[in-house]
Amino acid sequence: MDEIFGAPGQLLASTIRNATPLVFAALGGMFSERSGVVNIGLEGLMLISAFAGVVGAFLSGSAVVALGFALAAGLLFALIHALMCVTFEADQIISGTAINLLALGGTGFLMVSVFGSGGTSPRVEGFGEVPIPLLSSIPVVGPALFSQSVLVYLMYVMVPVTFFVLFRTPFGLRLRATGESPEAVDTAGVSVGRMRYYGVALSGLLASLGGIYLSMGLLSAFTEGMTNGRGFIALAALIFGRWNPIGAAGAALLFGFALAVTFRAPQEVIPNEFLQMIPYVLTIVALAAFGGRAIAPAAIGKPYRKE
Amino acid sequence: MSNRLRRALVDAGGALVFPLIAILISFVLGALIVLATGNNPLTAYSALVRGAVGSPTAIGRTLLGATPLIFTGLAVAVAFRAGLFNIGGEGQLYIGAITAAWLGVTLGSLGALSIPLVLLACVVTGFLWGAIPGVLKARFGAHEVITTIMLNFIGINLATYLALKPLRTEGLVPGTDAIDFAARIPFVGLGLGRANYGFLLALVAAVVAYLLLWRTRRGFQIRAVGLSPGAANYAGMGIGTNTVLALAIGGAFAAIGGGVEVLGVYGKMTIPFVTNLGFNGIGVALLGRNHPAGVVLGALLFGGLASGAQEMQFSTDVPLQLTNVLLAVILLLVTATKLVELLLGKRARALAGARLEKGLG
Repeated sequence: MDEIFGAPGQLLASTIRNATPLVFAALGGMFSERSGVVNIGLEGLMLISAFAGVVGAFLSGSAVVALGFALAAGLLFALIHALMCVTFEADQIISGTAINLLALGGTGFLMVSVFGSGGTSPRVEGFGEVPIPLLSSIPVVGPALFSQSVLVYLMYVMVPVTFFVLFRTPFGLRLRATGESPEAVDTAGVSVGRMRYYGVALSGLLASLGGIYLSMGLLSAFTEGMTNGRGFIALAALIFGRWNPIGAAGAALLFGFALAVTFRAPQEVIPNEFLQMIPYVLTIVALAAFGGRAIAPAAIGKPYRKE
Repeated sequence: MSNRLRRALVDAGGALVFPLIAILISFVLGALIVLATGNNPLTAYSALVRGAVGSPTAIGRTLLGATPLIFTGLAVAVAFRAGLFNIGGEGQLYIGAITAAWLGVTLGSLGALSIPLVLLACVVTGFLWGAIPGVLKARFGAHEVITTIMLNFIGINLATYLALKPLRTEGLVPGTDAIDFAARIPFVGLGLGRANYGFLLALVAAVVAYLLLWRTRRGFQIRAVGLSPGAANYAGMGIGTNTVLALAIGGAFAAIGGGVEVLGVYGKMTIPFVTNLGFNGIGVALLGRNHPAGVVLGALLFGGLASGAQEMQFSTDVPLQLTNVLLAVILLLVTATKLVELLLGKRARALAGARLEKGLG
């Protein structure tokens, strides 16, 4: 087995690296969807942030500036989605699809405008690996889990934080209520529109962390269309995890494992294309098994109009 | 003017309010972007128009670009009439394309006779592929938006696998064997460049979609389910059957689109293959208000933009990708009901929105 998958530690490390962008985006999607706004634009939010991060790093050479650029881009595109879905009462699925196309077209356009040619950007300084003292010296698990980029550690923290915010704070209660029963929230004097803006904005910020990890944690450059379906896998993780942060993170890890295996398994055993289908097939199976509709927030997808 | 005609015209005018506003705003935004790149928007846009309709070759390019979008647009529109959102056009198109690439080579010795056989096979595979999310929804309640997105990736990977492994042939670009010229859809000629008769097939498909939805009992049922599932159910029209059929018929349309791309344009399936035709089909359907005639118009607009972009990039230094940004903005705005109300007042929204909201409900 070792020749196929490498040492167990390597496979684990690769699983974590592949899962990190998925976890961030799935947690982001959670805030949006819990507030009642479907966000199939996660793919686009990640893509535009991956690009903005590289531009930031290219201009300044600083990872902090790059992170600022990525967060700003993710937030901007998320706010466009919120503006369309909440303020202009557009169809959320269509707006999300448009966000994806806008990010794809926009990054393609800007690649030519900023770097002079499409394809791949110049290399930038990425987020290096920062081993955590002591923890990283645990055999096998240590190097895999604790000798990673700072963004990976942030991901570890964000899972419980998201859980806490959603289920243990007044804000989380209101956000969840907005997704389940906007009328009740409205009656209680809380603005449905504002809660949804918060939810979508948070999804943009979290998805942008996933995006910048792709371009500056894994690759140190931007390639057109580099998200390559990861936003949709994150969406799948969210559904698979039944709109719960722990569940979604677990599902993202599972999908991250599938991706890690994809990159390592020799073609003769199982063709790469079939391995790549795993997350999508799993999602369909999960949807069919759980009955799909019953679990999603009740008011998801519907614009709220005060009568 | 007869009352009926007047009502039809008012209806058509109302239906155009959303698309026109979306197009207008996207072009204003586009002009600002062109200005930001240091170019003159008038020069850029006149090049865009010239590249879309300025010469027979340009028109041919526009028709060529519009053809697959009519098919994927119909795939979205038919499902939409049943109240279903088919985001799976991309995967369905790939399934049709690989079917055509495989059978086109196998049956190639039959010459032109193989073309209808191959396209019929596309109908069958597309129908079956499209039925999957329908069955998942009708039987298990799995939401079609998610399942069709997931099936996109599965279909693309499946087609890629087939083109790269069992059907792969020697060649510079990885992909399947080339189909015999006699078994391909012929060029129109008439100075229209590489435009082929696939465009006529797309028009026929639009007419078929219209007849199916508005002139058959099944089409009536599909639309009834879309307008009011509860009432349709009460009237004894099976929601499940109509859900499966609407998505399956949509899948068949997208798959023929893939088949026509292979038989008419590329003569084989290469990897990578054309992308985003399924997603742009969503925009086409929405611009066309999910009516087959509107789908044709929407596809012509998208095809024209893509064709004109090449000329624009050639004569200014505005990147080709600007049109993708324009398309995304159009798509973003085309269902923004409140925006129309803000711009034109409540009456305009009532006029334009009533039918849209029914379709989206």
